[in-house]
Amino acid sequence: MSTALKDLIRNPTVAELELVARYAALKADARRERLFEAFAQTGLPGRRAENWRWSDFKTAVGQLDTPKAPPARDPLARDGVSTLRFTPAGFVAPASLPAGLRLLAKEDVQAMGGAEEAPLGALAAALSGTVLVDVSAGAAVHLHMVFQGPGAINAARVVFLLRPGAQLHVSESHLGGAAFSTALVEFTLNKGAHLHRTLYQAGGADEAQAVTALIEQDEGAESVQTVLALGARIARIESRLVHRETGSKATLNAAYLAGAGRHADITTHVRHGAPACTTRQATKGAVLAGGRGVFQGKFLVPRTSGQQTDASMQHNALLLEEGAEVFAKPELEILADDVQCAHGNTSGALDGAQLFYLRQRGIPLAQARAMLTEAFIAEALEGAGELEEVLRHEAQAWLSHVS
Amino acid sequence: MLKIENLSATVGEGEGATAILHGLSLSVPTGEVHAIMGPNGAGKSTLSYVLTGREGYTVTGGTATLNGEDLLSLDPEARAAKGMFLSFQYPVEIPGVPVMTFVRTAMNAQRKARGEPEISAPEFIKKSREIAKVLSLDPEMLKRPVNVGFSGGEKKRLEIYQMMMLEPRFMVLDETDSGLDIDALRTVAEGVNALRSPERGMLVITHYQRLLDYIKPDKVHVLAKGRIIKTGGPELAHRLEAEGYDGVLAEAV
Ligand SMILES: Nc1ncnc2c1ncn2[C@@H]1O[C@H](COP(=O)(O)OP(=O)(O)OP(=O)(O)O)[C@@H](O)[C@H]1O
Ligand SMILES: [Mg+2]
Repeated sequence: MSTALKDLIRNPTVAELELVARYAALKADARRERLFEAFAQTGLPGRRAENWRWSDFKTAVGQLDTPKAPPARDPLARDGVSTLRFTPAGFVAPASLPAGLRLLAKEDVQAMGGAEEAPLGALAAALSGTVLVDVSAGAAVHLHMVFQGPGAINAARVVFLLRPGAQLHVSESHLGGAAFSTALVEFTLNKGAHLHRTLYQAGGADEAQAVTALIEQDEGAESVQTVLALGARIARIESRLVHRETGSKATLNAAYLAGAGRHADITTHVRHGAPACTTRQATKGAVLAGGRGVFQGKFLVPRTSGQQTDASMQHNALLLEEGAEVFAKPELEILADDVQCAHGNTSGALDGAQLFYLRQRGIPLAQARAMLTEAFIAEALEGAGELEEVLRHEAQAWLSHVS
Repeated sequence: MLKIENLSATVGEGEGATAILHGLSLSVPTGEVHAIMGPNGAGKSTLSYVLTGREGYTVTGGTATLNGEDLLSLDPEARAAKGMFLSFQYPVEIPGVPVMTFVRTAMNAQRKARGEPEISAPEFIKKSREIAKVLSLDPEMLKRPVNVGFSGGEKKRLEIYQMMMLEPRFMVLDETDSGLDIDALRTVAEGVNALRSPERGMLVITHYQRLLDYIKPDKVHVLAKGRIIKTGGPELAHRLEAEGYDGVLAEAV
């Protein structure tokens, strides 16, 4: 490797050197170079970067060896739904595609806006090709995506264009299986388009996972996103959304459940770049001893373009045991004056009066805790529609191991 | 029989612990209904919590047994499985858990603890429907989360609904009459009376004689300053209603 490449990242870690080597092995390409440089500015982000101080990938991503855990089950897999697979060995297209959908897998790289703000997204783009999905107007189209090992690094990028009036229901399973997985998923919603995105994430205690979504919405477009994250050694689900024309609406809900040795980070950034747009955000979390939850939410409402914004942000976390950790930073940067913005942020233990009420009726302590926790996070999963039950079932399964 | 002997208890932790019950003794033979009356802050609710095992209450002396079995060493859920039921003075809201789900979970948990088979869904629904009718409860209400957005009176009626569903062996009713309108008081009392049986005992905590017109007690106890200071028949409730507590409190000294 040339000295120039080696110097891309200052004081590189073992993993960063490995990433540089991966990049160097790919065909030279000006766009790829630009994206890798955007990543290299921070390297694997960690404590020193403001938005990453609670989710330190630099420290958490160690040797990039293939993890030993058996492949995880995909709870969102359904018969009859076309599935896109992203593996360390490359992209696997489905045998057939639903009507209204076109797919193009390219080896070369497509430019990415705001790469500096999303270093792990830029990395995903720099280390992979591009899968383009074009959705035309018509009946709702269903699609499933799986991101899973085995391997050392799983980098993937998929770019969706929802044409005016298009409706897409996409489910995503981020199942780990690689030492380090990073996925970049982009959505452009043209006028009146609808996106329904449901995401499940689970990873092992020796795996790092990053999912970066960039969402741009035109006039009257609407997106509903629901996340269930079970964490990994470190896992971050980041969504960066821009309302760029009037009347656009977004719902960004998430539930995270972090057990011992698991870290789940839900980060969102919403820019109200046009008047009269709506954002609803509810994040609920439950964390056990030795687990860590992170919530970072930001609404940016500029002075002129952000007028008549209607936005609310809620984050509520349950610390189920002594030794559970939750870090939260809800941030509203509101420069416009004619807006409705609400936010709330709580974290605490289960309510003793509620627990006693359940136990007095004969429900054993462990079951009472599971019931109350499930009820607590349920609201965040309501938007998942037909997949709500599946997510609830996964949450129940997680909770049944809690005592 | 519920038998409480010389029971003393504190509330609060460590330095902040306050003694509330001071050697309280009381027996309710199976098949009888006893009433407890007493001034605010006397320790009536404390007694109900100590009997059902609420956290934060520490027994510092005495015993409590149900049909000869010690209650005080058991977890709250184990006491419930043995048949202890508390109709709360302030029922708790459980957002996100529908009433029917809650009661069915509770019923099956109790049955499991007793080694009995689960209730089937149709059987459960049938029973629920019958009881809702007796209590004039809107069936829609039973689909809503437990107590969330219920009026004070609705919450009390829901306590009785749960009690009738779970068919406990011993019931403590803590001010079930407060917040009920005149008609609801009668309906609730009918529900409670329907559960009266030679196999069950009941302790009814109330401030008003009125409830005891509907639920006729075998005995009335006066609880003051953490102990039972007087016991009598139903006429004692009438006397308290007419005279207040001053008289009996003075006699007790
Ligand atoms: N956590 C606590 N710490 C300190 N004192 C407490 C605590 N909880 C209750 N108490 C006190 O214990 C006493 C008995 O309360 P309790 O609720 O048992 O009274 P009660 O007889 O049910 O009254 P009421 O008729 O008003 O319902 C009261 O003086 C109350 O203030
Ligand atoms: Mg009381």
